[in-house]
Amino acid sequence: MIGTVTFDELAELMNARAGLSVDPQEMKSRPDATFADFELDSLGLLGIVAELEKRYGQPMGADAEGCKTPRAFLDTVNGTLAAAV
Amino acid sequence: MRDQSTRDRSTHDAAPGESSARRTVITGLGVIAPNGIGAEPFWKAVVGGASVLGPVTREGCAHLPLRVAGEVRDFDPAALVDSKFLVQTDRFSHFAMAAAELALDDARLAADPDDPFGIGVVTAAGSGGGEFGQSELQQLWGKGPSFVGPYQSIAWFYAASTGQISIRGGFRGPCGVLADDEAGGLDAFAHARRTIRRGTDAVVVGATEAPLAPYSVVCQLGYPELSLEEEPHRAYLPFTVDARGFSPAEGGAMFVLEDADAARRRGVRARAEVAGHCATFTGGDGWEDSRQGLARAIRGALDEAGCSAREVDVVFADALGVPAADQAEALALADALGPHAANVPVTAPKTGFGRAYSASSALDVAAAVLALEHGVVPPTPNVTEVRHDLDVVTGEARTAALDTALVLSRGLMGGNAALVLRRVPDGEL
Repeated sequence: MIGTVTFDELAELMNARAGLSVDPQEMKSRPDATFADFELDSLGLLGIVAELEKRYGQPMGADAEGCKTPRAFLDTVNGTLAAAV
Repeated sequence: MRDQSTRDRSTHDAAPGESSARRTVITGLGVIAPNGIGAEPFWKAVVGGASVLGPVTREGCAHLPLRVAGEVRDFDPAALVDSKFLVQTDRFSHFAMAAAELALDDARLAADPDDPFGIGVVTAAGSGGGEFGQSELQQLWGKGPSFVGPYQSIAWFYAASTGQISIRGGFRGPCGVLADDEAGGLDAFAHARRTIRRGTDAVVVGATEAPLAPYSVVCQLGYPELSLEEEPHRAYLPFTVDARGFSPAEGGAMFVLEDADAARRRGVRARAEVAGHCATFTGGDGWEDSRQGLARAIRGALDEAGCSAREVDVVFADALGVPAADQAEALALADALGPHAANVPVTAPKTGFGRAYSASSALDVAAAVLALEHGVVPPTPNVTEVRHDLDVVTGEARTAALDTALVLSRGLMGGNAALVLRRVPDGEL
């Protein structure tokens, strides 16, 4: 799903909030790859959710924090943002 | 004779499930100190008697009344630790991870994927991640709860370094942390030895501290023992008439402590044997009380090592730099070692770079291991005229046949500890 939050933005947040260097193209090309595969732990994901909530001025809901893959995460947060428009 | 006035925190005999027959040896050494990064640069500075105490330049500290400390200035954490761990942890854990990496390289040790439970981690910490915690709490009060990063939940914590070293290296054996005062750097070895006696082959052990950040420095200003002297060469002068407290430091040392048989099987050299430890507690009501506690710790450690007082070839002193504490230490040595106390060389290399709380004694262990290997007693920088009946090595390093080193530590909260290290000739087990 192409939405407001992109793989590029997610990669940037993974770097800023958790110190990870992740290639957004790689995340995009591996739909089933998990956050664990990219070494992002649950605390790192929490920090990314908090940052997105501040950027978009919108609560992301508890589902976002529980997502296991980048693709599921983007679907969830972009779905939330789209529903709020 | 049993001394009822102090409480013994250590057991000399093996508890059920422990094998006292297992000898423990240091096979790896990693140092991040104000006077050198890596064991060899550290030793070179220590032997040369270099004094690197200087002004406090870390951000947000320069206006505080603490003027002199030992800062680790040439430490580039990004060169030694992945960015992922840097973002998620405090400076004290950066030191710990970098020092552990150096120690593991030195010991040529890595986790065995077929036996991930064979290696454990034990660290001591006196204050945890103060700088990281301050930054996040400022976000909380300045902007609101959603601006506090989730890694605050683990980064400030005393146990953070043990956890990060364990996760990073894949060391899934028994892990622990001692929230301890200065004696922690020695007590961590006792904990690691017990872990090995219960069957773990190797333990990554040591202590690091990063107390030079604004909140942490303000906390330390409450210690009457802290030296507020402005002149670096006069700030920390234990055993002299000019003693006026201690200068704090950051950094620390990590080691690989290993079962001697496991080390032999791996074909690595032993840098020293950890032969005995004892800890006592005499509280914080006055440094005079530490005399009995420290003397008892010395006797206990020597007993465990099967070592007589006369066999002690060098003492790495606690050297607090407070007249009553220095006097208590000199008397404790006399009580425990008898006439030998006046003859044995005593040194305190830390007068050149400061006291890094629980990491202070870990750095002393590093210096003692290197002293045993080189047969050299390093000097006590900046100290000249000693007022006690001790042979404090000042000025130049002294060459001596060294087989046994006694390392002493006392903490501001009342802990006393002694550790006995033995040379392993040619490193062969």
